[in-house]
Amino acid sequence: MLPEPDTRCHGWALRRLNQRFLRAAPPTLPGGAIPGISGYSPPVSSPHLQFAGVRRRFGRLSVLKGVSGSVEPGAMLLVTGPNGSGKSTLMRCLAGLLAPDGGTIAYQENGTPLEAAERRRRVGVVAPDLAFYAELTVAENLTFFARLRRVSPERGLGVLGRLDLPLDRLAGNLSSGMRQRLRWGFALLHSPRLLLLDEPFQNFDAAGERIARELLEEHLEDGGLAVVANPSSLDFHHVAAHLDLGR
Amino acid sequence: MWPRISTWAAEATAVFAKEWRCELRTRYALNTLGLFAFTTLVVVSVSLGPLGVSLSQGTAVLPVLLWVILLFSVAAGLPRAFVQEEETQTAIALRLAATPSALFCGKLVYGLTLVLALEALITPVYVAVTSLKVVSPGLLAGTLIAGGYGLAAGSTLVAAIIAQARSKGTLFSVLAFPVLLPLLLLAVELSRSAVAGDPAGVALPQLLLYDASVTVVGLMLFPAVWNP
Amino acid sequence: MKNALAWLLWIWLSVVIVGAFKYAPLAKGFIGESSRILFFHVPMSWVSFVAFIAAGVWSLMFLFGGRKPKHDRAAAVAVQLGLVFGVLATVTGSLWARIMWGAYWNWDPRQTSIVVALLFYGAYLALRSSLEDADSRARLSAAYAVLGLAVAPFLFFIMPRIMFSLHPQSVINAQGKIEVESRMVQVLLAGSAGFTALFFWLHNLQCRIESLSERKSALRDRG
Repeated sequence: MLPEPDTRCHGWALRRLNQRFLRAAPPTLPGGAIPGISGYSPPVSSPHLQFAGVRRRFGRLSVLKGVSGSVEPGAMLLVTGPNGSGKSTLMRCLAGLLAPDGGTIAYQENGTPLEAAERRRRVGVVAPDLAFYAELTVAENLTFFARLRRVSPERGLGVLGRLDLPLDRLAGNLSSGMRQRLRWGFALLHSPRLLLLDEPFQNFDAAGERIARELLEEHLEDGGLAVVANPSSLDFHHVAAHLDLGR
Repeated sequence: MWPRISTWAAEATAVFAKEWRCELRTRYALNTLGLFAFTTLVVVSVSLGPLGVSLSQGTAVLPVLLWVILLFSVAAGLPRAFVQEEETQTAIALRLAATPSALFCGKLVYGLTLVLALEALITPVYVAVTSLKVVSPGLLAGTLIAGGYGLAAGSTLVAAIIAQARSKGTLFSVLAFPVLLPLLLLAVELSRSAVAGDPAGVALPQLLLYDASVTVVGLMLFPAVWNP
Repeated sequence: MKNALAWLLWIWLSVVIVGAFKYAPLAKGFIGESSRILFFHVPMSWVSFVAFIAAGVWSLMFLFGGRKPKHDRAAAVAVQLGLVFGVLATVTGSLWARIMWGAYWNWDPRQTSIVVALLFYGAYLALRSSLEDADSRARLSAAYAVLGLAVAPFLFFIMPRIMFSLHPQSVINAQGKIEVESRMVQVLLAGSAGFTALFFWLHNLQCRIESLSERKSALRDRG
């Protein structure tokens, strides 16, 4: 999935060109090496998520009452609980879509802690209420979001290929299983380090579930983090921790 | 490698292009704006036409009615830009992916093009049907552009505010009209000057200042409105 | 200390009211005793605009100063009180207009300004009542208040010019332009100061009441 690092020695000049004209730090592989630049290895610092005492209420209803957890690189946190136990609320707080009433959420990539606004743009989210533009085709939807995320649209279409999505079908005409695949495509578009998956295999057929599990495993093997919320603890590997919100 | 190919402007352009692509496939806003404007136009010309208006009455009344038509058409068709994102739940994906300022500018320019298209369609018909003699068409065109921008900017920001509330339809009018009132007064005054051939006076800089204020305040407030 | 200030306020306002009827002379060119209304109308419309600006400033502090709930509460209470004072100002003003100019409503620039202020207040409160979630309610109504603050000053520059062109026999001989004797000025200024103090005292009371009731419902929810 990742290209081989280019070992020709452009090193310093290429990095300066990158920073000056593309106004972005070149992306790093896990382990800190920068593709295309040999002999340069920054200090190894990896993504890390930690949350403590997260509380959230809606009006009179207290949904989250002080939830804590942490996720290391290459590990997955599984959040389970019955309906109404606050799994989706917790996922939204972690994604930065909802501000918690109390507690802290600390996420860092490469040593720099990210506030909610940055975190929101960096994470990959699959959620049941994630919807796309019904009047646009699958390809147009993903190209649009790729442009918003400032990544090359070709990347997005590459991910689509693995998910086996019909590029030219209108998003409004997709079956629920196809829509779930499109959500995975949206989540992986920008190669996020942290995946927040709320009911990730909902509506999937066997093939879809297999592809999604492969993608998740590859993500974790690359050193990424994942938090998965699911009503039941299905068969997952790499489960480093299990958080049960059941009452 | 994996270059970051888009700048902020490209992001805003992507939003603008997406809005128009969706709009051209459904034609919802165009139909709403157009039908509303034409219906109001018919009412105005039927009630004023056969009786006719004297020249002084025409100068006083007709510019006002033009801007009333534009205001109500905009209120009917523009809030959809944000309200529909919340209703179809595509706002979640937008919140995760977009930079707020680029999103605001993309939506603003989309609203502006809608308003300008509407004005380009309605104004000639209105002038012809009411036999309005415009002495300075240049000033009228400038007023329509600057006033149209103010309508689009104010409406876009208010639409973003009400999109997260209930009873969005009535709420938009209630919130937007006090905000747009200074704009309307200035635009009407300038339109009257254009029809009568008077100089623009101090109203034109004030209109441009209003546009600038709403833009600046909109850019400042939108991240707080959009993000939780 | 607070009690002493409250007593001082009440004494001050009583003196102002008595002075409005006994101490200040009648203004020239006014019909009968009607000029007495001004001593109440002018301070109240002044306070209503103070409330507008105060709500805008507190909303700015809320949005860009740490999202403290007390700022949001202060802005909302300011708007509520501003609405009350604004309605009173409009009613007293239109009563006076009926006596002086023969009609309850003339679209005089100041009348129009107060109406627009009332529209803003009403819109703000309508927005607040349509949002259930406390966070988004605070955030969105604060944004609207700041927008109102940015846009409303334009009316002060547009109004006099437009009204002149609409009403050639200008009715702009408004309160400030009349020849005032020093006694009237004294009572007017004292009244304005008193009513402003009244506004802030009521504001403080109402904020404390709302804060206490929020704490009570929070405690009750915690069970």
